[in-house]
Formats: sequence, C-alpha cells, structure tokens
Amino acid sequence: MSTLSSPIVFIVDDDEDMRLSMQRVLKTVGLRAELFAKPQDFLQRNIPDSPSCLVLDVRLPGMGGLEVQHKLIEAGINIPIIFITAHGDIPMTVKAMKSGAVEFLTKPFRHQEFLDAIQQALQRDQLSRRHRNEIAELQGRYKGLTARERKVMDLVVSGMQTKQIAAVLGTSEITAAVHRGHVMHKMQAGSPAELGSMAERLKLSANR
Amino acid sequence: MAKEDVEKTLAELSRDLGESKARLEEAQRVAHVGHWEWDLETDVVVWSDETYRIFGLSPQERPMDLATVRAMVHPDDREPLYRGVDQDLVAGQRPSGEFRIVRPSGEVRTVSSLTSERWSSLPGDTKRDASGRPYKLFGTIQDITDRKRSEEAFQEISRKLQESNAMLEEAQRIANVGYYSWNLIENRVIWSDEVYRIYGLDPRQGAIDLAKVGEMIHPEDRELVFAAAEKALQSGTPADIEHRLVRPNGEVRTIHSVGTVKRDASGRAYEMFGTAQDITERKRSEEALKRSQFYLSEGQRIAHIGSWAFDDSGHYWSDELYKIYGLDPQNGAPTVEQYLALIHPQDRASMAETIKRMQEEHRGFDQIERIIRPDGQVRYIRAVAVPVMEQGLFKGFIGTTMDVTEQELLTQELRREQAYLAEAQSLTHIGSWATNFYTKQMFHLSDETFRLHGFDPRNGPIPLEHFFETIHPEDRAGVTATLEQAIHTRTDYDIREFRVCHPDGTLRFLRTIGHHNPSSEMGYYVGITMDITQRKQAEQEREKLRQLEANLAHINRVNMMGELAAALAHEIKQPIAAAVANAGACLGFLEGERPDIFEAREAASGTIGSARRAAEIIDHVRSLFKKSFPQREPVVVNELIREVALLLHNDSRRNSVTVHLELAENLPEVAGDRVQLEQVLMNLMLNAIEAMRDAGGDLTITSQPTDDGHLVVSVRDTGLGVPANKIDQIFDTFYTTKPQGTGMGLAISRSIVESHGGRLWATSDSGRGATFRFTLPYEGSMGT
Repeated sequence: MSTLSSPIVFIVDDDEDMRLSMQRVLKTVGLRAELFAKPQDFLQRNIPDSPSCLVLDVRLPGMGGLEVQHKLIEAGINIPIIFITAHGDIPMTVKAMKSGAVEFLTKPFRHQEFLDAIQQALQRDQLSRRHRNEIAELQGRYKGLTARERKVMDLVVSGMQTKQIAAVLGTSEITAAVHRGHVMHKMQAGSPAELGSMAERLKLSANR
Repeated sequence: MAKEDVEKTLAELSRDLGESKARLEEAQRVAHVGHWEWDLETDVVVWSDETYRIFGLSPQERPMDLATVRAMVHPDDREPLYRGVDQDLVAGQRPSGEFRIVRPSGEVRTVSSLTSERWSSLPGDTKRDASGRPYKLFGTIQDITDRKRSEEAFQEISRKLQESNAMLEEAQRIANVGYYSWNLIENRVIWSDEVYRIYGLDPRQGAIDLAKVGEMIHPEDRELVFAAAEKALQSGTPADIEHRLVRPNGEVRTIHSVGTVKRDASGRAYEMFGTAQDITERKRSEEALKRSQFYLSEGQRIAHIGSWAFDDSGHYWSDELYKIYGLDPQNGAPTVEQYLALIHPQDRASMAETIKRMQEEHRGFDQIERIIRPDGQVRYIRAVAVPVMEQGLFKGFIGTTMDVTEQELLTQELRREQAYLAEAQSLTHIGSWATNFYTKQMFHLSDETFRLHGFDPRNGPIPLEHFFETIHPEDRAGVTATLEQAIHTRTDYDIREFRVCHPDGTLRFLRTIGHHNPSSEMGYYVGITMDITQRKQAEQEREKLRQLEANLAHINRVNMMGELAAALAHEIKQPIAAAVANAGACLGFLEGERPDIFEAREAASGTIGSARRAAEIIDHVRSLFKKSFPQREPVVVNELIREVALLLHNDSRRNSVTVHLELAENLPEVAGDRVQLEQVLMNLMLNAIEAMRDAGGDLTITSQPTDDGHLVVSVRDTGLGVPANKIDQIFDTFYTTKPQGTGMGLAISRSIVESHGGRLWATSDSGRGATFRFTLPYEGSMGT
C-alpha cells in the first residue's frame, strides 16, 4: 500500500500535553497522527483517501466536540469519531453514540483502551470505504446504460420475462432480448438475481 | 081719587122713584156694584152706570150687546163663563161667577156677577116664554178686584208667617235657642219646643209651672237665676245670665238665658219674654281652645319654638317668637326690612332671596339661618314656612321658627368630627360599619367601607349580599364560615386576610374585625375593615426577595462550589490524563522485541511534566482565595449575622432547626469584605443546619468582644458533632462527609477569615454538637 493509503488518526484537543501524549501512544503501534488545537483547523483539512479516524475532545474552546460531529455529518463527511472527555455524563455519551461515535473515553484512560478504540475505528472506516467504492463502481456502470436499458433493467428486476418486457415496451421479443443482453453485460451481472441485488444497493445509495 | 091727587101722588111717586134710583146709583157706586139686564132673545144688554164704570166706560156711553160684553171678558175666562151660563140656564139654575174683565185701558179687574133670584124664579113672569124658559136675565156685577187682592195678600202673609214660624223653630232647634214667655200676672210659663228640648223634656207634654223650672236649674245656680230675674223686674234692664240645668236624665247643660220685661201702659210688668240657648258645646270648645292655646304657648316656650301667620288679616307672631328674636311684643311684628336687619349679614342675602320667592311664588321654605339679637347674641334659627291654600287659592303663610343654636353647634361639631373620621378612614384605608348579619340590616357604613369593596358611596345604599359577592370566590367560603361561627357563638371575630375583587378587576387584600356586643341582638356586629394590600404586597415582596436572596445565595454557593470543582476537576484531569497516556506510551515503547529507549524516555519525562502541571493547578486554585481581596469596608457583624439568619430562615425551618441569636450589643465595626464574610457565616450556618438535618435541633449564633481587640463569633449546633481525630482534617481542602459536598467550604472559609486577620477553628464533643468560632480584629486594630 502507498503512503496515501496508510491509516491516519486526527486528534483535536486544546491541551497540548494531551495531544502529544496521545500522539506518543499511537506512535507505539506505528500509527500516524495529525494534531489540531482547534476544531476549525481540522474542519478546513481535506480528508485524504485513506483509512482514518478522529479523536475529539468534548470540551473545546469555540466549538464543542458534539457540534463538530454534527457539522461533519451535515457536510457528508464520514469519519469514525472517538470522543474523549474529562468528565462525561450519560446523556452526553448517549447523544454522541447515537450520532455515530465509535467510542466515548473518559480521561484519564489507559493507553490500551485508547489503542483498541482507534483500531476499531479504523476498521470501520475501511469497511465503509470499501462499501462506498463498490457503490461508486455500480453507479458508474449504471450511468453507462441508455434510458431504454435502464427501463429494461427496472423491468427485469421486477421479475418480468423477455416476452412480458416486449409487451410493456411495445417491441418485438427479439429487440427486448437484445436490450436485456446489453444491460446484463454493461452491469456485469451474471444473473437476474445478481442484477436485482445491484439495483437494491443502488437504490440504497440513492436514498442515502 | 082726584086727578090732581093722582098727579100729585104720581109726582110724589116719581120724585120718590127718582130719589130711590139716585140712592141706588149712589149705593152701587159706593159698593162698586152695578146691575145689568140681558135680553136672551135679542142679546141686548142694559147696564147701570156703575156697571159701565166697572167696565172702565163712561155711564150710558153706548148701548150694550152681548157680543161687546163678551169681548170685554178676559180671554182666558170667556169660554168657561158663557159655557157655565148656558149650562146653568139649561139646568134652570141662576148663573153666577167670578171672572176677569179687561177695561179699554188694558187694566184687568176681577168681577163677581150674580143673577137675581126673583127675576128668574117668579112664576107667571112675563119675562118667561111659553115653555117657562126665561128670555131675560137680571143681575148684579161687583168689582171685587181690591177685595181679591187683599185676600191674596192676607193669604200670602199668613203663609209667610207660617213659614217663618217654621224657620224660626228650625233655627231655634239648630242654634239650640228657644224662647219663653212668662206671664207674670198668672205666673204661667209658655215655652217654645226648643226650650223643652233644651231642658230634656218632650215638647208635647204641655205647660210647665215655674216651680218645676226652678227645680231643674242646677242647685248651685238657682239663687243666681232668680236674683237676676228679680233684678230685671226691678230695674227694667234685660236679664242676661249663664247658668246650668240638670236634665231629668241627670245630664248637666249650660244655658245662656236672656229676658226682657214687658209692661203695660201703667208701667206694670205683665210678662217676661226671652230666649234660652244651650251653650254647653260652645262652652266646652271654648274651654278646650283656651286649654290648647295655653298648651301651645307653654309648648312653644319650653321648646323655643315660635309660630307665626301672615295673611290678608295681618301678621301674627307668637310670644315665644318675639322672645327668640329678642324683640318686644309691644312693638308688634317687624316689617320685612326690620326682619332682614336682624339676620346675620352673611345670611341676609339668601334670606332676602327666600322672602322674595315666598312673596312672589308663594313658595314655602325650611332653612337654618343666623340672627343677631338686639343684645348682640348670635343664634341659629330654623325657620319653616308653609303656604296656606284654600280651594286652590293662596291665602297666606304659616310657619314656625325654632332656636336651634345648640343643635346647630353640635351638628357642626359632629360634621367636623365626621369629616375628620372620613378623612382618617380614607387615609388609612380603614372603613367602619355596624351591621346585623343575621337580619342583613346595615346601620352604619362609612364611605371608606364602600370604597374598600370597590363601590362608590355616592351611588347610594347597597345590599349586604353585594358586599359578600365582592369576596374572592376562593375566600368566600372561609369568610362566611368564620362569620357564621362568630354569630352562632356570639363572639368577636378577626378575619386577618381575605381578598376582594373590585368591579374594575383589581384585587385587594382586606382584614376585617367584628365586635359583638353581648347585650345586642344576635348577629349585630360593629367593626372595621382595613385594606392590607400594601402591607401584604410588601410582605410578599419581602418574602419573595428574601426567598430569592436565599436561593441566590444558595445557588451561588452551590454553583461556586460546583463550578469550582468542575473547573478544578477538568483542569487537573487534563494533565493527569496526559500523564497516564505518557506513562502508557512509555510502557509501549519499552515493550516488544526492540524497545525504543529514546521514545520511552521522552514519554517518561512527558509524564513528569504532566504531573507537575497538575500540582501547579492545585496551587493556583488555593492562591485564588488567598489573593482575592477586592473590598474593605466597615462591616457591622451583628447585622450580617441577622441577615444570614434571615436568609437561611427557610432552610432552618425545613430542617426543624431553631435559630437563636445571642449578640452582644454595641460591638465595634470590623473592616472587611462584606460578601466574603457573609459567605463564611452562611457556610458555617448551613453546615450546622445540615448537621442537624434529620433530627432537628438548636442553632445558636453568638457574638462577643474579646480582650485583645477582636470580636469572636460562634456558630453552635446540636448535631452529631465531629470526632476528635477529625477535628483538624475538616479544614483540609476537599475534606467532606457529605454526599454532595465539595470539601471546599471550610477550607475557603478559613482562607477568608485568615485573610481578614482572624482565625477560624472548631471544637466538638462527639455526639453533643460542634461549635465553630472565628475571630475578626476591630477596624481600628486591623493588622496588615
């Protein structure tokens, strides 16, 4: 894997001691850390195309950790978050977890605890990245279909035979069979069932 | 007989005849009687001279016939006369009659005509025809006009006499006047009917003898009556006497009797004639009038009321009226000008106006004015005048005048008092009243009472229910119950607080106190109602403020502690977390097959740095309390203690803690930070209250001077106390026995006290409570 694809941990904490100590802990397992004293600085950074996660202090000057999380969701940035706080209460924890936080660590935490949370976050990011890539691939293929072919794909997915498709489109059965062949090919689907699964995933991604 | 003799005899006879004719004529003329002959066949009538005269004609003026005679008979009598004549002739009777004739001059005379008996009845009379029916009538006619008139006049007189007699009788009866006639010669008395009635006798019982009359006169008056009669007989002057008589039924009547004596030509008295009048009723009413006049004047004198009347017949003033005005009755009633001069100058114009209206519009009046008596005294007079009307016509005025000086002065005094009272009520918002709640009668309601319930007293009386309806619905039942209970037990009541809603929507708090007079009837109360809204509002405000302050202080305290703790926790946790992470990293670098010693050392020194930082933070917090001295002002510690005790009133009450303040008087002021010292006191007192949270107890705060220029404040509770081995620890930072405690309170308090140059310490006997004391130097002796 290239350096681009090597994982990276973003740390946002206003306490320098805290930032440095966490960076040190990550270094023990060879993980790269990028440090930010202010959340605004992090928000301006482009998230690279590599597995990553965010360590976010709840109590931050200017903008609270939960607010940062909210802004990221709004911007459609999908990055696993580990919250750390000097004194977290239950409602705050629940709120953070509901919004998709990976872990909520209370200071002082043990370094292993911290590392476990980081690993979990990075794995989750990797999975979601792969998933996102697949969807993008499918979307690319789907974009390659003509309007007619998209219609035929819908009809196939709905479970129609070629004959029925021809009747709906008002064409000969042969023409319908040709369109169907193009769809299966372009979408790289081995069977109508596989095509159906693809359509399902496309719909999900479209709904998102 | 010789011819000469015959002639002589004839001549004599003729002379005699002539003479007798003349005599007859004369007789007829004197007696106004004429004669007539009526030839029934020819209807020729022959009249004597007198007959002509009777008919108003000259004798023998012309020959007469029936038609002429007929025409002269009065038209009304004509037909009946001749019809009667015809009927009489047919019946063989002699016609006769009275009838009226009309003379040529128009004069009407009444005549009587008779037919001669001889002429019509003589048998073989040539003046009868063969059938015996007379053909000639002879008769007389007499002018009876004058006789007729005197007859009528006589009858008229006689009728009038009867009438006047009857009227006299009636008049006598009505006037109770009778007359009597006493025949002195025969000693017989004749009485009119009324005299009988006056004496209580029956008029029909006949003559009365004098002895009986004497008996009926009242024994006491008898001598007087006879003496008067005797005197009249002697002197000739009429007797005039009032005397009493006793009627047969025993009734006594008073009689006024007058009698005159009649004498004959020789001067002998033969009769006493007079009248008797029953004056009993008049006498009685006279006496009654006299009595009532006496009472009236006496009444006026006693009541200082004068009366007057003013009409066509003059101007009357009663004696008392003169007295009221200080005038002499001899001078008579004053004129309007004189009267006005008596009126006080300030009232004169209005009185003049009143009199003017009285004269011009006939209007009565009732007013009070001042007069100045001739002796200079000023008096208040109430004068009342009423117009007298008779059948719609104005006749004059009657009136009374009363000296009301004393009443007026009292009334003025009363009005002044009332005005003061009303003013006082209005100022203090206290209304007075007297009411019977049972009968719902209201005897007295001051204006302020109306206003307290939101009513305008100028709108007149208001039923009791309306007052109740103004009471706030939530309070009504309570007020009614208290009232009913008081009425029932006949006791006083004091409703300390209830609300009323005024018609304009404002809400007022009232207090009402009712005093029941045991001797009065049930439900009768006299009382006052007062507006306590302001006091109530002030109380509420104060309570609210106090609550707010207490809450604020509490919140402040808790917040300060909480915030401080949170900030401290956060501050300290940061370096600690960093230290832990560094230590973890250090371990991480040392683990494995190829430990990274360099990194491990870096991490270890990072750990030291973080830990040191944590220590610095704690030092910094402590120094915050030591350094902050923003204020130095003179503080009266006792005042502070009272304020804090007040602030914590609710806390102590809630925990059944009784607060006792034992503060030395006249302590000098100390110089310090009022807020910080308050904080210390509150801390100690709250701790004490919390120490007695479950069991309750006594919290005693004392203040005393010490010998070395300090004052010492102690806060003692009766809680569990502090174990002896912990007594020093409790002032350490973060030491706490309370679940919610921060462990900062006593540490901070000690810092504050020490920064003021004093000391804070605690003593305790375990199980018998704890006492915290602190000292503060006086202002003057304050060290650096």
